Amino acid sequence: MAVLKVTDLHARYSAKGPEILKGISFEVEENDFFAIIGPSGAGKSTLIRCINRLVEPTSGSIVFDGQEVTTLRRVELRRLRRDIGMIFQEFNLVNRMSVMDNVLSGRLGYTSNLRTLFRAFPREDIDHALSLLDRVGLIDHVDKRADQLSGGQRQRVGIARALMQDPKLMLLDEPTSALDPKISREVMELIKEMAQELKVPCLCNIHDVKLATECCNKIIGLQDGVTMFSGLTGDMNEEKLGEIYAMEVL
Amino acid sequence: MSNRMAAFGGPGKKKLEWRRFRYPESLVSYAGWLIAFTVVVFSIEYLNIPLDRILGMLGRMGDILADRYYPPDIEYIMDMDYFGYVVETIQMAYLGALFGLIITIPIAWFASFNMTPSRRFVYPVARLFGMSCRAVHETIWAILFVSILGFGMLPGVLALTLFSAGFAAKLFAEEIERIDMGPVEAMRSTGANLFQIMLFGVWPQVRVAFTGIAIYTWDVAFRAATVVGFFGAGGMGWYLKRNVLQIETERVAAIILSIIVLVIISEALSAWARRAVMKMK
Repeated sequence: MAVLKVTDLHARYSAKGPEILKGISFEVEENDFFAIIGPSGAGKSTLIRCINRLVEPTSGSIVFDGQEVTTLRRVELRRLRRDIGMIFQEFNLVNRMSVMDNVLSGRLGYTSNLRTLFRAFPREDIDHALSLLDRVGLIDHVDKRADQLSGGQRQRVGIARALMQDPKLMLLDEPTSALDPKISREVMELIKEMAQELKVPCLCNIHDVKLATECCNKIIGLQDGVTMFSGLTGDMNEEKLGEIYAMEVL
Repeated sequence: MSNRMAAFGGPGKKKLEWRRFRYPESLVSYAGWLIAFTVVVFSIEYLNIPLDRILGMLGRMGDILADRYYPPDIEYIMDMDYFGYVVETIQMAYLGALFGLIITIPIAWFASFNMTPSRRFVYPVARLFGMSCRAVHETIWAILFVSILGFGMLPGVLALTLFSAGFAAKLFAEEIERIDMGPVEAMRSTGANLFQIMLFGVWPQVRVAFTGIAIYTWDVAFRAATVVGFFGAGGMGWYLKRNVLQIETERVAAIILSIIVLVIISEALSAWARRAVMKMK
């Protein structure tokens, strides 16, 4: 059964503005590492933000874990978001907060307001955070402030924060675009390994086509809000890439 | 045509143009300056301000000051009684700023466009509250509270509370509007509610700036506290008023001198404290 099923999704930011997504459909199944590729401005980020409704889609259907996402009310939506981890291009950490607190913030959806006020997370959350930080190789940096870390280390904190949620799906919004090529590869491999270990399917925006073909088993190619390609990574070829990027230098 | 121009704009190509003067933007800006100047000239004419006498006034002011206000009666302000009023002024400023800052934190949250719980309802109400606090001068708040509660420290503290709240609410809200929204987005995506996002995503980003603003607010509240007593709301302002009415000019001079010294001290202290806080980043 598909974990995520998107059908005929449309999105625009304002009533008069241009339509960003023009009817996108795809399915993410268990164990998928699903890549969304396409040039800048194709609607990749909008698409990924529609899944957990950081951006409101205008029409279409998103079914996640057997539940229609587009019609959820506010409280139900927060409950749903707990099951979807997200990793961002610019890491989106709180720079003035410790690595530990940044990772623990992934549990906020499960934590009461009172506990949040006193930062009194349950023991098992702290243990979970420590084991994740150990796994991503940051166990020596637990008490450092996030802005003392390098780019690659910050994204590892982002990975740990997302996995803190025990997600059933991971959304990755250009997770490696702010990193240099070598670190990009390391981070991407780490994400892939951990996703496999924890059996979490991933939906990943990615600019680097080569990296996408290495890591992902399925690819959807967007151009100007329209699906140009959809299928297995093996079916992708130079000609189709040229079409998606429309003569843009790869 | 020089060589470097020829390289791009050969014959037959459209001539590229750029002018600093834009129509109508530049014209509007010139007209604005002209209107501002005309208004100033007309106001001076209308109010019948004799420019020549203003210059003469400076000399006379010196004479009066030297004649009536000198020497200041320093002994008078060295009195323990007066010292008590100084302490009362400091207490009033402290309490007023403290209460003002406490009510400001939720107000500033509601009045920040990016984090407000509701842009349609809560945001304009919170903005209106802050603006109302600022619209009424602290002395008018003092008069109002004195007329309701009678003389004493309490109306002074309340006047300073509203003054501090109005002052800090705007600065706090602007600080919240300046934050990096990335972490806020990240926390929304984890299923956190707005309160949790404020605590974990926003507060760490604004904490240092808030501390600086809080110190500044105390400093400004102290300056305001020296004057609310003039209207019966406690503190050294009351001393000032009594001596002004009794035309004890040398004592008035001493009191004004003491206010200047105290305000300078408080400003220096606040500047030092704010620098120390900013170093923490």
